Amino acid sequence: MTVIDCEGRSLREVNGAIRRAIAGGETEILVRHPGARHNLAVAILEGVRITIDGPVGYYCGGMSDGVRLEIRGSAGWGVAECLMSGTVVVEGNAGNGAAASIRGGTVAIRGHAGARAGIAMKGGQLLIGGDCGYMTGFMMQRGRIVVCGNAGPAVADSMYEGVIYVGGEIAALGNDAVVAEASADELADLRAVLTQHGIRGPGRFRKIVSGRKLWNYDKKELDVWRAAF
Amino acid sequence: MCGIVGYLDRSGSVDAPVGAKVLGMLEALACRGPDSSGIALWGAPAEGLVLRVKVGEQGDPARAREILRLAGRHGRVQARATGASIIRFEIAKADAGALAAAIEAVASGVEVVSMGRQLQIVKRVGAPTNLEAEFGVSHMTGTHGIGHTRLSTESRVDLSHSQPFWAHGTPDLAVVHNGHITNYHRLRRGYEQEGVRFYTENDSEVIGVYLARQLARGASLQEALEASVRDLDGSFSYLAATPDEFGYAKDPYCLKPLLVGERDEAVALANEEIAIHAALPGAYRAREAGAAAVGVWAIPRRARHAGRSAGRREIAGRGLDGPGVLR
Repeated sequence: MTVIDCEGRSLREVNGAIRRAIAGGETEILVRHPGARHNLAVAILEGVRITIDGPVGYYCGGMSDGVRLEIRGSAGWGVAECLMSGTVVVEGNAGNGAAASIRGGTVAIRGHAGARAGIAMKGGQLLIGGDCGYMTGFMMQRGRIVVCGNAGPAVADSMYEGVIYVGGEIAALGNDAVVAEASADELADLRAVLTQHGIRGPGRFRKIVSGRKLWNYDKKELDVWRAAF
Repeated sequence: MCGIVGYLDRSGSVDAPVGAKVLGMLEALACRGPDSSGIALWGAPAEGLVLRVKVGEQGDPARAREILRLAGRHGRVQARATGASIIRFEIAKADAGALAAAIEAVASGVEVVSMGRQLQIVKRVGAPTNLEAEFGVSHMTGTHGIGHTRLSTESRVDLSHSQPFWAHGTPDLAVVHNGHITNYHRLRRGYEQEGVRFYTENDSEVIGVYLARQLARGASLQEALEASVRDLDGSFSYLAATPDEFGYAKDPYCLKPLLVGERDEAVALANEEIAIHAALPGAYRAREAGAAAVGVWAIPRRARHAGRSAGRREIAGRGLDGPGVLR
């Protein structure tokens, strides 16, 4: 295992050291003293295991493909954005825009997530152990979001496709979001996935999907459009 | 961008090293705002009013003497200190409004930057390191403070346009803001028709004016912050404080970041965790504030109210204890 200490090093030096370790064949990297700095461990395209021992700033693990990243602390805005495949686990809370636009892989936040979690997701899954903020799953296109706690206002607003499960209270559904019935198989699968990522979910979940009314313009539904824009 | 930070020492001591804490937090956010930086700090109550007056953008010893001479007509001028661009003095028993008006009539560039029994604002163009060099803020003590690093987007870069903003006319109230108040011009026109003077073209200035008027009507800081979330439009995370309370408000769309970090002995607020990490080394609880979230902490007073700790008063179901609710 390679240990990289952030203290006294610039961000470029830290990310460079991670890259050099991977190029040298390393598969286990421990990053110490991250100090909530931004852009750590971004664009990692190999299936290596990276552990960051502390809080991180914005965009940690973003643009990655195949990485197995664990953050032993909280994360700022845009954690794991555009993840293609792999796993990003945040032990604490995450800021706004967690897992924005991911195409695949799993982002697991054991604490709470801020606003716009899973915005424009195009695949993969986002697991949230606590609550999620305003407009979670906004314009989501594929994949699933699992919120074990409460969902903030406008959850699933204008989503095209995909599924959002909420274990707690829903402050307010977003435009064109509808509550559907979750099957026993789906719930069993949810429990298995949550357990696998160290999150204890609630006994029941509500499922939210797209009402598909915004897919096509229908002048009879002018009010829906008015509300959406 | 802009960096905003706040720090509350829960020990209740007015001798807590809040200046050093806020400076450390600001240095961590220096990259968010290279144009100017400033700190507002609430310390031990003075006998009279403490004023910090901008003599001019460059400083002018003759003008500084004239300001002190004029102030002397309104009350006995005590401890004084002259810096490059800001002079500080304490004045016993004076009418705050008349005093400020008299001082600001000396020349067009003269502005009372802060006034209060406990509030002191220091600010200047450039990085937080300059703030330390000119004012020695790391040695300033108090119960709580807020700070700002500015990246100017619309109005000019000078001392007056720097933050924190003292809410002119209301002793001891100050604000720092990250974001953009989009109904600024409409609000400002309304206030100007009521006779309020604006000192800058900076939209953030309107927040202090707004809060001052809410408080003057008898609203608590909590109520004023809640009302502001409805009445201010645009993107904002801002911090506001008085000698008794310390709080934040966030816009209903969560367009600007604001993290709340807490530990038993302190509260640290900032729009990036790197600043909270600087203020609270070791373990702490940190969470992004929710939509339209408002939080207020009472300032503990060890001397006056023994044993009282800084409690957080936050509305149920909003802010940190639950998901934000859009109102």
